Amino acid sequence: MNKWLVLFRKEWLEMVRNYKVIWLPLVFVVFGLLQPITLYYLPDILKNAGNMPEGTVIKIATPSSGEVLCETLSQFNQMGILVIVLAFMGIVAAERRSGMMKMILVKPVTYTSYILSKWVSALLLTFVSLSLGMLAAWYYTILLIGSFPFVDLAQGTGIYFIWISFLLTFTLFLSSRLKSSGLIAALALLLGIVLSLVTPLLEKWMKWSPAQLTGAASSLLTEGAAQGNVLLPLTITILLTALFLYLAVREP
Amino acid sequence: MKMMEVTALSKSFDTVNAVNNLSFSLKEGRCTALLGPNGAGKTTTLEMLAGLLVPTKGTILFMGSNQADYREHIGYLPQQPVFFSWMNAVEYLVFMGELSGMAKATAASRADELLELVGMADAKKRRIGGYSGGMKQRLGIAQAMIHEPKLLILDEPVSALDPVGRRDMLEMMKRLKGHMTILFSTHILHDAEEVCDDVMMIHKGELAVAGSLPELRRNYLENIIIISAEESLDTWARTLERWTVITEVRVRNNTLELFVSDLDKARSQLLAEITEKKIPISSFTVGSTTLEDLFMKVVGK
Repeated sequence: MNKWLVLFRKEWLEMVRNYKVIWLPLVFVVFGLLQPITLYYLPDILKNAGNMPEGTVIKIATPSSGEVLCETLSQFNQMGILVIVLAFMGIVAAERRSGMMKMILVKPVTYTSYILSKWVSALLLTFVSLSLGMLAAWYYTILLIGSFPFVDLAQGTGIYFIWISFLLTFTLFLSSRLKSSGLIAALALLLGIVLSLVTPLLEKWMKWSPAQLTGAASSLLTEGAAQGNVLLPLTITILLTALFLYLAVREP
Repeated sequence: MKMMEVTALSKSFDTVNAVNNLSFSLKEGRCTALLGPNGAGKTTTLEMLAGLLVPTKGTILFMGSNQADYREHIGYLPQQPVFFSWMNAVEYLVFMGELSGMAKATAASRADELLELVGMADAKKRRIGGYSGGMKQRLGIAQAMIHEPKLLILDEPVSALDPVGRRDMLEMMKRLKGHMTILFSTHILHDAEEVCDDVMMIHKGELAVAGSLPELRRNYLENIIIISAEESLDTWARTLERWTVITEVRVRNNTLELFVSDLDKARSQLLAEITEKKIPISSFTVGSTTLEDLFMKVVGK
């Protein structure tokens, strides 16, 4: 536990020194801010685009607060995942490549606490980034569009975070096994994309799919209650996350 | 007392046998050199001893016990030590000290002490990213010693350094010798002869020769007499081959290399014969084979 804490502190110090602790939340906050603002000003933006024929009347119903937050989440599901995978693809692989891993593991440290320190710090930074992004979106949504209950926001973000944790853990697992960062990122993104695409297409057979959680989070935000069976994908996702974590801490 | 006892250690990667049935022991307080050509299995052996690789077969007893994890008593310097370039020397040493189970304050004072010892006190607050190769090697030694290990394992500690750095490192190893047991690998025989007490030579993953330096000198290093002359010595050489004190005769142009079993006897007999036969010698040298000759013999060249 003590050594785990030492490793964990090192991970944070590293993320501070390479500014990851700043730019990762910043990306999420910017995307979070942008969504309510663009949706709110969309009619003005279109009007000022200038290439509309004279007398065009643009009428776009201002979306509800829930819809704006739901849009934000789907934005995170594309750019957010990309950024997270790219930020953490080398988390183990880079230290294995450089030989740093040997320098650390020759000290009386277990491989498990070495990997777990990385997992927890990556998870924590992702959680902070996602939360800050959603809070930024929430703040501007209330300011520009209308109020939205914090409890729903927290629940939606929470469920969505489980999905992100699953992808993050998968990235960590790949990073603990593969050498090439490019391959790690490609495989992790592929899993995210395939699951996100296949799940709505094969609704019947994919009720267990972790990607169901994004749908559940969206419906929580738009309707205030999750649609369909959330418990099944939730359980499966947590189990899969645990499995990949277990595989990651096993020394190859 | 035996610090470490290794029995029938083997390691194979897929189909390659990197280390094959290696048995040896390290005595406490001694400095042992692990010699071998590139690819002999030196690094693989050291990594197994350091607990970084799991042996395919064999046992490693540390301090007489089979306890699974003795890493806290070991300091290890890999062939190419790497560091976090975003840390400074003190931060790095404290981090490594804490990982070895030291309290932060103890690690910090030990770090200062070690940086003084390796002569880097003035650079301790600079980021490691800007260090030279020699400074990194010193820092590598310092991180291996941070927790005052009983056994220091150094993988090629000097081969990447310039002559000045090499000298410094050898001097440092000589100073450390009294305090801890050292095992280091090298392919530079001169360095081994200078600092170590015991020598192990491995070739193709197998132990070829082992012993203390005096033992090796006694058992393996042979006395030789080299005679050069102004004319061909072929015919004389053929008669010498029958002498009992001479074990081997090598003729090269006008030079004879005679491996002798009894130096004094051979010398007087040879000198007598030279005078008697009026052989026009230009030089008569008495010496012994070197560790390098032994090494070359072991390696089979």
